[in-house]
Amino acid sequence: MSPAPVTAKSARLVLDVQGVAHRFGGLRVLEDVNIAAPESQIVGLIGPNGSGKTTLFNIITGFIRPRSGTVSVNGRDVAQDSIQQRSRDGLLRTFQTPKVFDHMTVLENVMMGMHAHTSSGVLATMFAMPSARRELASTRASALQTCERFGIAHLAATRAGELPAGLRRVVELARAHQAKPKLLLLDEPSSGLSGPEIDTLRGWIRVFASEGTTVLLVSHDMGLMDVCDVVNVLYFGRVIATGPMAAIRDDQKVRDAYLGAA
Amino acid sequence: MAFARNKLLIAAVAVVALLLPLLLQRHYVDVMVFAGLYGIAGLGVALLLGQCGIVSLGQAFFYGIGAYSSAYLCVTLGLSPIFGIVVGAALSALIAFIIGWPILRLTGFFLALATLAIGMIGGILFYEWDWLTGGTLGIGGIPTLSLFGFELNTPQRYYYFVWAIFLVAIWLSHNLVTGRAGLAMRAMRDAPPAAEALAVDMHALKTKIFVLCAVLGSLAGSLFAHYATYVSVQSFTVERSIIFLLIPVIAGAASVWGTIIGALFVALAPELLSGLGDAHQVLFGLALVLVVTLLPEGIVGLPKLVMKRFGA
Repeated sequence: MSPAPVTAKSARLVLDVQGVAHRFGGLRVLEDVNIAAPESQIVGLIGPNGSGKTTLFNIITGFIRPRSGTVSVNGRDVAQDSIQQRSRDGLLRTFQTPKVFDHMTVLENVMMGMHAHTSSGVLATMFAMPSARRELASTRASALQTCERFGIAHLAATRAGELPAGLRRVVELARAHQAKPKLLLLDEPSSGLSGPEIDTLRGWIRVFASEGTTVLLVSHDMGLMDVCDVVNVLYFGRVIATGPMAAIRDDQKVRDAYLGAA
Repeated sequence: MAFARNKLLIAAVAVVALLLPLLLQRHYVDVMVFAGLYGIAGLGVALLLGQCGIVSLGQAFFYGIGAYSSAYLCVTLGLSPIFGIVVGAALSALIAFIIGWPILRLTGFFLALATLAIGMIGGILFYEWDWLTGGTLGIGGIPTLSLFGFELNTPQRYYYFVWAIFLVAIWLSHNLVTGRAGLAMRAMRDAPPAAEALAVDMHALKTKIFVLCAVLGSLAGSLFAHYATYVSVQSFTVERSIIFLLIPVIAGAASVWGTIIGALFVALAPELLSGLGDAHQVLFGLALVLVVTLLPEGIVGLPKLVMKRFGA
Protein backbone atom coordinates (compact mmCIF):
# COMPACT_ATOMS: atom_id res chain seq x y z
CA MET A 1 0.00 0.00 0.00
CA SER A 2 2.57 2.50 1.11
CA PRO A 3 4.58 4.06 -1.71
CA ALA A 4 7.64 4.61 0.47
CA PRO A 5 10.24 1.87 0.25
CA VAL A 6 10.22 -0.02 3.51
CA THR A 7 13.81 -0.71 4.39
CA ALA A 8 15.09 -3.66 6.33
CA LYS A 9 16.44 -1.28 8.99
CA SER A 10 12.99 -0.68 10.37
CA ALA A 11 9.59 -1.61 9.11
CA ARG A 12 7.53 0.23 11.70
CA LEU A 13 5.91 3.38 10.31
CA VAL A 14 5.90 6.31 12.71
CA LEU A 15 4.07 8.46 10.19
CA ASP A 16 1.70 7.06 7.63
CA VAL A 17 -0.30 9.49 5.51
CA GLN A 18 -2.90 7.71 3.39
CA GLY A 19 -5.12 9.16 0.68
CA VAL A 20 -5.11 12.71 2.01
CA ALA A 21 -7.03 15.20 -0.09
CA HIS A 22 -7.81 18.85 0.57
CA ARG A 23 -9.24 21.83 -1.22
CA PHE A 24 -9.59 25.51 -0.49
CA GLY A 25 -12.96 26.43 -1.98
CA GLY A 26 -12.86 25.12 -5.53
CA LEU A 27 -9.09 24.81 -5.61
CA ARG A 28 -7.75 21.30 -5.14
CA VAL A 29 -4.43 21.56 -3.35
CA LEU A 30 -3.88 17.91 -2.42
CA GLU A 31 -5.12 14.75 -4.13
CA ASP A 32 -4.67 11.23 -2.81
CA VAL A 33 -1.35 11.93 -1.13
CA ASN A 34 0.47 8.98 0.46
CA ILE A 35 3.65 9.51 2.46
CA ALA A 36 5.28 7.24 5.00
CA ALA A 37 8.11 7.71 7.46
CA PRO A 38 9.64 4.59 9.03
CA GLU A 39 11.07 4.81 12.53
CA SER A 40 14.33 6.74 12.95
CA GLN A 41 14.49 7.75 9.30
CA ILE A 42 14.81 11.19 7.80
CA VAL A 43 12.12 11.72 5.20
CA GLY A 44 12.10 14.71 2.90
CA LEU A 45 9.24 16.52 1.22
CA ILE A 46 10.05 18.86 -1.64
CA GLY A 47 8.08 20.60 -4.30
CA PRO A 48 7.86 23.95 -6.05
CA ASN A 49 5.82 26.82 -4.64
CA GLY A 50 2.12 26.03 -4.78
CA SER A 51 2.68 22.28 -4.84
CA GLY A 52 0.79 21.83 -1.56
CA LYS A 53 3.80 21.26 0.72
CA THR A 54 2.69 23.72 3.35
CA THR A 55 -0.89 22.47 3.30
CA LEU A 56 0.29 18.89 3.76
CA PHE A 57 2.62 19.99 6.55
CA ASN A 58 -0.24 21.80 8.28
CA ILE A 59 -2.48 18.75 7.93
CA ILE A 60 0.12 16.49 9.54
CA THR A 61 0.80 18.95 12.38
CA GLY A 62 -2.88 19.63 13.03
CA PHE A 63 -3.16 23.27 11.95
CA ILE A 64 -5.56 22.14 9.18
CA ARG A 65 -8.01 19.18 9.21
CA PRO A 66 -8.01 17.28 5.88
CA ARG A 67 -11.19 16.80 3.83
CA SER A 68 -10.42 13.09 3.51
CA GLY A 69 -7.69 10.58 4.21
CA THR A 70 -5.88 9.44 7.34
CA VAL A 71 -2.78 10.67 9.14
CA SER A 72 -1.50 7.85 11.34
CA VAL A 73 1.14 8.46 13.98
CA ASN A 74 2.40 5.23 15.51
CA GLY A 75 -0.53 3.40 13.97
CA ARG A 76 -3.25 5.67 15.31
CA ASP A 77 -5.21 8.06 13.10
CA VAL A 78 -4.73 11.59 14.45
CA ALA A 79 -6.21 13.49 11.48
CA GLN A 80 -8.98 15.02 13.61
CA ASP A 81 -6.97 15.46 16.84
CA SER A 82 -6.02 18.85 18.27
CA ILE A 83 -2.48 20.21 18.09
CA GLN A 84 -1.95 19.66 21.82
CA GLN A 85 -3.22 16.10 21.61
CA ARG A 86 -0.76 15.36 18.81
CA SER A 87 2.00 16.95 20.82
CA ARG A 88 1.22 14.70 23.78
CA ASP A 89 1.43 11.77 21.36
CA GLY A 90 5.01 12.76 20.51
CA LEU A 91 4.62 14.90 17.40
CA LEU A 92 6.48 18.21 17.34
CA ARG A 93 6.94 20.86 14.68
CA THR A 94 9.29 23.78 14.17
CA PHE A 95 8.50 26.92 12.21
CA GLN A 96 9.86 28.48 9.05
CA THR A 97 10.83 31.56 11.07
CA PRO A 98 12.13 30.15 14.35
CA LYS A 99 9.48 30.72 17.00
CA VAL A 100 11.41 31.12 20.21
CA PHE A 101 9.90 32.70 23.32
CA ASP A 102 11.46 36.16 22.97
CA HIS A 103 11.14 37.41 26.55
CA MET A 104 12.25 34.16 28.13
CA THR A 105 15.85 33.13 28.64
CA VAL A 106 17.48 30.52 26.46
CA LEU A 107 17.38 28.10 29.40
CA GLU A 108 13.67 28.74 29.95
CA ASN A 109 13.03 28.18 26.26
CA VAL A 110 14.71 24.80 26.42
CA MET A 111 12.88 23.98 29.69
CA MET A 112 9.59 24.52 27.82
CA GLY A 113 10.49 21.48 25.74
CA MET A 114 9.68 19.38 28.80
CA HIS A 115 6.15 20.78 29.19
CA ALA A 116 4.39 17.67 27.93
CA HIS A 117 6.57 15.43 30.10
CA THR A 118 5.91 17.31 33.35
CA SER A 119 2.71 17.68 35.31
CA SER A 120 2.91 20.18 38.22
CA GLY A 121 -0.37 22.07 38.42
CA VAL A 122 -1.05 25.74 39.21
CA LEU A 123 -1.76 25.18 42.91
CA ALA A 124 1.17 22.81 43.51
CA THR A 125 3.47 25.36 41.89
CA MET A 126 2.06 28.29 43.86
CA PHE A 127 2.43 26.61 47.21
CA ALA A 128 5.90 25.35 46.26
CA MET A 129 4.99 21.74 46.98
CA PRO A 130 8.06 19.50 47.19
CA SER A 131 6.92 17.54 44.11
CA ALA A 132 6.68 20.73 42.03
CA ARG A 133 10.05 21.97 43.25
CA ARG A 134 11.73 18.65 42.49
CA GLU A 135 10.18 18.54 39.05
CA LEU A 136 11.28 22.09 38.27
CA ALA A 137 14.83 21.43 39.50
CA SER A 138 15.18 18.31 37.37
CA THR A 139 13.69 20.11 34.35
CA ARG A 140 16.24 22.89 34.79
CA ALA A 141 19.17 20.48 35.20
CA SER A 142 18.16 18.50 32.15
CA ALA A 143 17.63 21.64 30.06
CA LEU A 144 21.04 22.93 31.08
CA GLN A 145 22.62 19.69 29.85
CA THR A 146 20.83 20.10 26.54
CA CYS A 147 22.09 23.70 26.31
CA GLU A 148 25.62 22.46 26.85
CA ARG A 149 25.20 19.82 24.19
CA PHE A 150 23.94 22.38 21.67
CA GLY A 151 26.73 24.79 22.57
CA ILE A 152 24.45 27.49 23.96
CA ALA A 153 25.13 27.04 27.69
CA HIS A 154 26.98 30.38 27.80
CA LEU A 155 23.76 32.01 26.56
CA ALA A 156 21.51 30.27 29.11
CA ALA A 157 20.61 33.52 30.88
CA THR A 158 20.22 35.59 27.68
CA ARG A 159 16.76 36.47 26.42
CA ALA A 160 16.09 34.43 23.30
CA GLY A 161 14.68 37.47 21.47
CA GLU A 162 18.10 39.11 21.56
CA LEU A 163 19.77 36.32 19.56
CA PRO A 164 20.52 36.38 15.80
CA ALA A 165 18.52 34.11 13.49
CA GLY A 166 21.07 31.30 13.41
CA LEU A 167 21.15 30.97 17.18
CA ARG A 168 17.37 31.23 17.43
CA ARG A 169 17.21 28.16 15.21
CA VAL A 170 19.66 26.37 17.50
CA VAL A 171 17.51 27.28 20.52
CA GLU A 172 14.43 25.96 18.73
CA LEU A 173 16.25 22.71 17.91
CA ALA A 174 17.53 22.37 21.49
CA ARG A 175 13.98 22.90 22.76
CA ALA A 176 12.74 20.25 20.32
CA HIS A 177 15.48 17.89 21.47
CA GLN A 178 14.41 18.44 25.08
CA ALA A 179 10.88 17.42 24.11
CA LYS A 180 12.17 14.06 22.81
CA PRO A 181 9.51 13.80 20.10
CA LYS A 182 8.82 10.55 18.27
CA LEU A 183 8.17 12.51 15.10
CA LEU A 184 9.84 15.85 14.41
CA LEU A 185 8.53 17.99 11.57
CA LEU A 186 10.91 20.65 10.31
CA ASP A 187 9.44 23.44 8.16
CA GLU A 188 12.12 25.01 5.95
CA PRO A 189 14.70 24.79 8.76
CA SER A 190 17.54 26.23 6.66
CA SER A 191 15.75 29.47 5.79
CA GLY A 192 17.79 32.46 6.91
CA LEU A 193 20.84 30.36 7.81
CA SER A 194 24.38 30.76 6.44
CA GLY A 195 26.38 27.95 4.81
CA PRO A 196 28.25 26.78 7.94
CA GLU A 197 25.04 27.07 9.96
CA ILE A 198 23.30 24.78 7.48
CA ASP A 199 26.09 22.22 7.93
CA THR A 200 25.50 22.35 11.69
CA LEU A 201 21.76 21.96 11.08
CA ARG A 202 22.39 18.88 8.95
CA GLY A 203 24.42 17.42 11.82
CA TRP A 204 21.62 17.99 14.33
CA ILE A 205 19.02 16.42 12.05
CA ARG A 206 21.19 13.30 11.93
CA VAL A 207 21.50 13.34 15.73
CA PHE A 208 17.72 13.37 16.10
CA ALA A 209 17.40 10.35 13.78
CA SER A 210 20.24 8.45 15.42
CA GLU A 211 18.50 8.86 18.79
CA GLY A 212 15.25 7.38 17.56
CA THR A 213 13.32 10.42 16.40
CA THR A 214 11.74 10.16 12.98
CA VAL A 215 12.20 13.38 11.00
CA LEU A 216 10.03 14.83 8.26
CA LEU A 217 11.88 17.62 6.53
CA VAL A 218 10.01 20.07 4.34
CA SER A 219 12.24 22.32 2.29
CA HIS A 220 13.07 23.53 -1.16
CA ASP A 221 16.74 23.64 -0.23
CA MET A 222 18.12 20.83 -2.41
CA GLY A 223 21.46 20.84 -0.64
CA LEU A 224 19.83 20.08 2.68
CA MET A 225 17.83 17.20 1.21
CA ASP A 226 21.00 15.10 1.08
CA VAL A 227 20.47 14.19 4.73
CA CYS A 228 17.24 12.40 3.87
CA ASP A 229 16.93 8.63 3.60
CA VAL A 230 13.89 9.07 1.37
CA VAL A 231 12.57 12.10 -0.47
CA ASN A 232 9.00 12.65 -1.69
CA VAL A 233 8.38 15.09 -4.51
CA LEU A 234 5.07 16.89 -4.46
CA TYR A 235 3.81 18.52 -7.65
CA PHE A 236 0.39 20.14 -8.03
CA GLY A 237 -0.97 18.27 -5.06
CA ARG A 238 0.30 14.82 -6.00
CA VAL A 239 3.36 12.82 -5.02
CA ILE A 240 5.15 12.27 -8.36
CA ALA A 241 8.27 10.53 -7.07
CA THR A 242 9.57 8.83 -3.95
CA GLY A 243 13.09 7.57 -3.33
CA PRO A 244 16.63 8.42 -2.25
CA MET A 245 17.82 11.88 -3.29
CA ALA A 246 20.28 10.44 -5.84
CA ALA A 247 17.47 8.64 -7.66
CA ILE A 248 15.18 11.66 -7.41
CA ARG A 249 17.78 13.82 -9.14
CA ASP A 250 17.82 11.47 -12.11
CA ASP A 251 14.05 11.00 -12.35
CA GLN A 252 12.87 12.46 -15.64
CA LYS A 253 9.43 13.42 -14.31
CA VAL A 254 11.01 15.33 -11.44
CA ARG A 255 13.51 17.02 -13.73
CA ASP A 256 10.73 18.18 -16.00
CA ALA A 257 8.46 19.29 -13.23
CA TYR A 258 10.78 20.80 -10.73
CA LEU A 259 14.51 20.69 -11.06
CA GLY A 260 14.56 21.83 -14.64
CA ALA A 261 12.42 24.79 -13.80
CA ALA A 262 14.48 25.78 -10.76
CA MET B 1 28.41 40.16 45.83
CA ALA B 2 25.33 41.54 44.11
CA PHE B 3 23.28 39.00 46.02
CA ALA B 4 24.67 40.15 49.37
CA ARG B 5 23.94 43.75 48.43
CA ASN B 6 20.40 42.80 47.46
CA LYS B 7 19.92 41.09 50.81
CA LEU B 8 21.07 44.22 52.60
CA LEU B 9 18.68 46.34 50.54
CA ILE B 10 15.76 44.00 51.28
CA ALA B 11 16.59 44.08 55.00
CA ALA B 12 16.68 47.88 54.97
CA VAL B 13 13.34 48.10 53.15
CA ALA B 14 11.83 45.61 55.61
CA VAL B 15 12.94 47.67 58.62
CA VAL B 16 11.51 50.85 57.11
CA ALA B 17 8.26 49.06 56.25
CA LEU B 18 7.93 47.77 59.83
CA LEU B 19 8.60 51.16 61.40
CA LEU B 20 6.55 53.16 58.90
CA PRO B 21 3.17 53.12 60.70
CA LEU B 22 4.84 54.35 63.88
CA LEU B 23 6.43 57.29 62.08
CA LEU B 24 3.72 58.38 59.69
CA GLN B 25 0.68 60.47 60.39
CA ARG B 26 -2.51 58.45 60.70
CA HIS B 27 -3.75 59.74 57.35
CA TYR B 28 -0.73 58.37 55.53
CA VAL B 29 -0.97 55.04 57.29
CA ASP B 30 -4.51 54.92 55.94
CA VAL B 31 -3.16 55.57 52.44
CA MET B 32 -0.65 52.77 52.93
CA VAL B 33 -3.46 50.38 53.88
CA PHE B 34 -5.19 51.23 50.62
CA ALA B 35 -1.93 50.69 48.74
CA GLY B 36 -1.88 47.16 50.17
CA LEU B 37 -5.55 46.51 49.35
CA TYR B 38 -5.19 47.81 45.80
CA GLY B 39 -1.94 45.88 45.47
CA ILE B 40 -3.67 42.56 46.20
CA ALA B 41 -6.30 43.24 43.53
CA GLY B 42 -3.66 44.64 41.16
CA LEU B 43 -1.53 41.53 41.58
CA GLY B 44 -4.27 39.47 39.95
CA VAL B 45 -4.40 41.89 37.03
CA ALA B 46 -0.58 41.77 36.87
CA LEU B 47 -0.62 37.98 36.46
CA LEU B 48 -3.05 38.29 33.55
CA LEU B 49 -1.23 41.19 31.89
CA GLY B 50 2.41 40.41 32.57
CA GLN B 51 2.33 36.64 32.18
CA CYS B 52 -0.55 35.98 29.79
CA GLY B 53 -0.71 39.28 27.89
CA ILE B 54 -4.37 39.75 28.81
CA VAL B 55 -5.69 43.24 29.61
CA SER B 56 -8.38 43.11 32.31
CA LEU B 57 -10.66 46.11 32.79
CA GLY B 58 -13.12 44.23 34.98
CA GLN B 59 -11.28 43.61 38.24
CA ALA B 60 -13.49 46.02 40.22
CA PHE B 61 -16.38 43.61 39.62
CA PHE B 62 -14.65 40.86 41.60
CA TYR B 63 -13.44 43.43 44.15
CA GLY B 64 -17.12 44.33 44.56
CA ILE B 65 -18.25 40.71 44.88
CA GLY B 66 -15.78 40.21 47.73
CA ALA B 67 -16.80 43.43 49.45
CA TYR B 68 -20.56 42.81 49.17
CA SER B 69 -20.23 39.17 50.20
CA SER B 70 -18.47 40.25 53.36
CA ALA B 71 -20.92 43.09 53.98
CA TYR B 72 -24.06 41.05 53.31
CA LEU B 73 -23.05 37.92 55.19
CA CYS B 74 -21.73 39.79 58.21
CA VAL B 75 -24.28 42.59 58.52
CA THR B 76 -27.51 41.21 57.06
CA LEU B 77 -27.06 37.54 57.98
CA GLY B 78 -24.86 38.08 61.02
CA LEU B 79 -22.28 35.45 60.06
CA SER B 80 -18.63 35.44 61.02
CA PRO B 81 -16.29 37.44 58.72
CA ILE B 82 -14.49 34.33 57.52
CA PHE B 83 -17.70 33.22 55.77
CA GLY B 84 -17.89 36.46 53.84
CA ILE B 85 -14.29 36.18 52.70
CA VAL B 86 -14.58 32.52 51.68
CA VAL B 87 -18.01 32.84 50.03
CA GLY B 88 -16.86 35.94 48.15
CA ALA B 89 -13.75 34.17 46.86
CA ALA B 90 -15.69 31.03 45.88
CA LEU B 91 -18.41 33.05 44.17
CA SER B 92 -15.82 35.12 42.29
CA ALA B 93 -14.00 31.99 41.20
CA LEU B 94 -17.23 30.44 39.94
CA ILE B 95 -18.34 33.57 38.07
CA ALA B 96 -14.85 34.08 36.63
CA PHE B 97 -14.91 30.52 35.36
CA ILE B 98 -18.38 30.83 33.81
CA ILE B 99 -17.53 34.14 32.11
CA GLY B 100 -13.89 33.38 31.42
CA TRP B 101 -14.34 30.06 29.65
CA PRO B 102 -16.21 31.58 26.66
CA ILE B 103 -14.52 35.01 26.49
CA LEU B 104 -10.93 33.77 26.83
CA ARG B 105 -11.16 32.45 23.28
CA LEU B 106 -10.93 36.12 22.29
CA THR B 107 -7.59 37.88 22.15
CA GLY B 108 -6.16 41.40 22.27
CA PHE B 109 -8.52 44.35 22.13
CA PHE B 110 -11.62 42.19 21.81
CA LEU B 111 -10.82 40.43 25.06
CA ALA B 112 -10.01 43.74 26.77
CA LEU B 113 -13.40 45.07 25.64
CA ALA B 114 -15.12 41.95 26.96
CA THR B 115 -13.53 42.48 30.40
CA LEU B 116 -14.57 46.14 30.26
CA ALA B 117 -18.13 44.95 29.66
CA ILE B 118 -17.89 42.70 32.73
CA GLY B 119 -16.78 45.68 34.81
CA MET B 120 -19.57 47.91 33.49
CA ILE B 121 -22.32 45.31 33.87
CA GLY B 122 -21.03 44.55 37.37
CA GLY B 123 -21.25 48.23 38.29
CA ILE B 124 -24.84 48.40 37.03
CA LEU B 125 -25.84 45.25 38.92
CA PHE B 126 -24.36 46.56 42.15
CA TYR B 127 -26.41 49.73 41.65
CA GLU B 128 -29.68 48.05 40.64
CA TRP B 129 -29.70 45.16 43.12
CA ASP B 130 -30.12 47.46 46.07
CA TRP B 131 -31.90 44.77 48.12
CA LEU B 132 -28.50 43.06 48.22
CA THR B 133 -26.01 45.90 48.02
CA GLY B 134 -27.88 48.82 49.50
CA GLY B 135 -27.41 50.69 46.18
CA THR B 136 -26.06 54.19 46.61
CA LEU B 137 -26.76 54.11 50.35
CA GLY B 138 -24.49 51.11 50.68
CA ILE B 139 -24.10 48.82 53.65
CA GLY B 140 -22.66 50.16 56.87
CA GLY B 141 -21.77 48.67 60.23
CA ILE B 142 -19.45 45.99 58.87
CA PRO B 143 -17.46 44.64 61.82
CA THR B 144 -13.70 45.07 61.92
CA LEU B 145 -11.66 41.89 61.77
CA SER B 146 -9.95 40.34 64.71
CA LEU B 147 -7.10 37.89 64.61
CA PHE B 148 -6.78 35.50 67.57
CA GLY B 149 -8.72 37.94 69.73
CA PHE B 150 -6.60 40.89 68.55
CA GLU B 151 -8.83 43.64 67.13
CA LEU B 152 -7.61 45.04 63.80
CA ASN B 153 -9.41 48.29 64.45
CA THR B 154 -6.74 50.91 63.75
CA PRO B 155 -4.98 51.79 60.49
CA GLN B 156 -1.66 50.79 62.10
CA ARG B 157 -2.83 47.29 62.91
CA TYR B 158 -4.57 46.87 59.60
CA TYR B 159 -1.45 48.04 57.78
CA TYR B 160 0.57 45.08 59.10
CA PHE B 161 -2.28 42.67 58.42
CA VAL B 162 -2.96 43.75 54.82
CA TRP B 163 0.69 44.02 53.83
CA ALA B 164 1.42 40.59 55.29
CA ILE B 165 -1.34 39.16 53.11
CA PHE B 166 -0.12 41.15 50.10
CA LEU B 167 3.43 39.84 50.55
CA VAL B 168 2.26 36.24 50.93
CA ALA B 169 0.17 36.64 47.76
CA ILE B 170 3.20 38.02 45.92
CA TRP B 171 5.33 35.14 47.16
CA LEU B 172 2.76 32.62 45.92
CA SER B 173 2.59 34.44 42.59
CA HIS B 174 6.36 34.47 42.38
CA ASN B 175 6.38 30.68 42.80
CA LEU B 176 3.74 30.38 40.13
CA VAL B 177 5.52 32.62 37.65
CA THR B 178 8.89 30.92 38.04
CA GLY B 179 7.40 27.42 37.96
CA ARG B 180 6.06 25.18 35.23
CA ALA B 181 2.77 27.05 34.81
CA GLY B 182 4.58 30.39 34.68
CA LEU B 183 6.89 29.20 31.93
CA ALA B 184 3.88 27.99 29.96
CA MET B 185 2.07 31.30 30.50
CA ARG B 186 4.97 33.36 29.23
CA ALA B 187 5.53 30.95 26.36
CA MET B 188 1.94 31.36 25.16
CA ARG B 189 2.23 35.15 25.51
CA ASP B 190 5.44 35.25 23.42
CA ALA B 191 4.65 32.71 20.68
CA PRO B 192 1.22 31.06 20.90
CA PRO B 193 1.70 28.58 18.00
CA ALA B 194 4.98 27.30 19.45
CA ALA B 195 3.46 26.97 22.93
CA GLU B 196 0.54 25.04 21.48
CA ALA B 197 2.92 22.79 19.55
CA LEU B 198 4.61 21.98 22.88
CA ALA B 199 1.27 20.77 24.30
CA VAL B 200 0.36 23.87 26.35
CA ASP B 201 -3.42 23.88 26.80
CA MET B 202 -3.69 27.64 26.39
CA HIS B 203 -7.40 28.02 26.94
CA ALA B 204 -7.40 26.03 30.18
CA LEU B 205 -4.34 27.88 31.48
CA LYS B 206 -5.79 31.32 30.71
CA THR B 207 -9.02 30.34 32.44
CA LYS B 208 -7.16 29.23 35.57
CA ILE B 209 -5.25 32.50 35.79
CA PHE B 210 -8.43 34.47 35.17
CA VAL B 211 -10.04 32.64 38.11
CA LEU B 212 -6.98 33.28 40.27
CA CYS B 213 -7.10 36.98 39.36
CA ALA B 214 -10.78 37.10 40.40
CA VAL B 215 -10.05 35.42 43.74
CA LEU B 216 -7.35 38.00 44.52
CA GLY B 217 -9.75 40.79 43.57
CA SER B 218 -12.44 39.34 45.80
CA LEU B 219 -10.05 38.92 48.74
CA ALA B 220 -8.97 42.55 48.40
CA GLY B 221 -12.65 43.58 48.29
CA SER B 222 -13.48 41.65 51.47
CA LEU B 223 -10.51 43.14 53.29
CA PHE B 224 -11.54 46.59 52.09
CA ALA B 225 -15.08 46.10 53.46
CA HIS B 226 -13.80 45.12 56.91
CA TYR B 227 -11.41 48.05 56.96
CA ALA B 228 -13.77 50.77 55.74
CA THR B 229 -16.72 49.15 57.65
CA TYR B 230 -18.92 50.65 54.94
CA VAL B 231 -19.31 49.81 51.26
CA SER B 232 -21.23 51.47 48.44
CA VAL B 233 -21.34 51.38 44.64
CA GLN B 234 -18.85 54.24 44.24
CA SER B 235 -16.00 51.91 45.14
CA PHE B 236 -16.65 49.41 42.34
CA THR B 237 -16.79 51.47 39.16
CA VAL B 238 -14.77 50.98 35.98
CA GLU B 239 -12.50 53.76 37.24
CA ARG B 240 -11.41 51.45 40.05
CA SER B 241 -10.71 48.69 37.50
CA ILE B 242 -8.47 51.13 35.64
CA ILE B 243 -6.59 51.89 38.87
CA PHE B 244 -6.02 48.15 39.32
CA LEU B 245 -4.79 47.84 35.74
CA LEU B 246 -2.44 50.78 36.24
CA ILE B 247 -0.62 48.95 39.02
CA PRO B 248 1.12 46.45 36.72
CA VAL B 249 1.34 48.95 33.85
CA ILE B 250 3.25 51.45 35.98
CA ALA B 251 5.43 48.94 37.74
CA GLY B 252 6.34 46.85 34.73
CA ALA B 253 3.91 44.02 34.21
CA ALA B 254 6.37 41.15 34.05
CA SER B 255 7.55 41.54 37.64
CA VAL B 256 5.25 40.35 40.42
CA TRP B 257 7.37 42.13 43.06
CA GLY B 258 6.94 45.30 41.02
CA THR B 259 3.26 45.38 41.97
CA ILE B 260 4.42 46.80 45.32
CA ILE B 261 5.80 49.85 43.52
CA GLY B 262 2.73 50.10 41.29
CA ALA B 263 0.43 49.91 44.30
CA LEU B 264 2.39 52.60 46.17
CA PHE B 265 2.26 54.81 43.08
CA VAL B 266 -1.50 54.63 42.52
CA ALA B 267 -2.23 55.13 46.22
CA LEU B 268 0.39 57.74 47.08
CA ALA B 269 0.75 59.86 43.94
CA PRO B 270 -2.79 61.35 44.06
CA GLU B 271 -2.34 62.01 47.80
CA LEU B 272 0.99 63.74 47.40
CA LEU B 273 -0.28 65.77 44.45
CA SER B 274 -3.54 66.75 46.17
CA GLY B 275 -1.71 69.51 48.03
CA LEU B 276 -1.45 71.28 44.70
CA GLY B 277 -5.20 71.90 44.54
CA ASP B 278 -7.39 71.37 41.53
CA ALA B 279 -4.47 70.66 39.24
CA HIS B 280 -3.66 67.39 41.02
CA GLN B 281 -5.77 65.17 38.78
CA VAL B 282 -4.15 66.61 35.69
CA LEU B 283 -0.73 66.13 37.26
CA PHE B 284 -1.55 62.52 38.14
CA GLY B 285 -2.53 61.94 34.52
CA LEU B 286 0.68 63.59 33.38
CA ALA B 287 2.76 61.46 35.75
CA LEU B 288 1.09 58.36 34.31
CA VAL B 289 1.77 59.38 30.74
CA LEU B 290 5.41 60.07 31.59
CA VAL B 291 5.91 56.70 33.26
CA VAL B 292 4.21 54.76 30.49
CA THR B 293 5.97 56.51 27.61
CA LEU B 294 9.44 56.94 29.09
CA LEU B 295 9.67 53.59 30.85
CA PRO B 296 8.57 50.78 28.54
CA GLU B 297 9.34 48.22 31.24
CA GLY B 298 7.78 50.29 34.00
CA ILE B 299 9.43 51.71 37.10
CA VAL B 300 11.00 48.30 37.78
CA GLY B 301 12.93 48.65 34.52
CA LEU B 302 14.33 52.07 35.53
CA PRO B 303 17.66 50.89 37.04
CA LYS B 304 18.43 48.83 33.94
CA LEU B 305 17.58 51.76 31.69
CA VAL B 306 19.86 54.08 33.67
CA MET B 307 22.68 51.52 33.60
CA LYS B 308 22.29 51.14 29.85
CA ARG B 309 22.44 54.87 29.23
CA PHE B 310 25.09 55.98 31.69
CA GLY B 311 26.88 52.78 32.62
CA ALA B 312 29.69 51.07 30.80
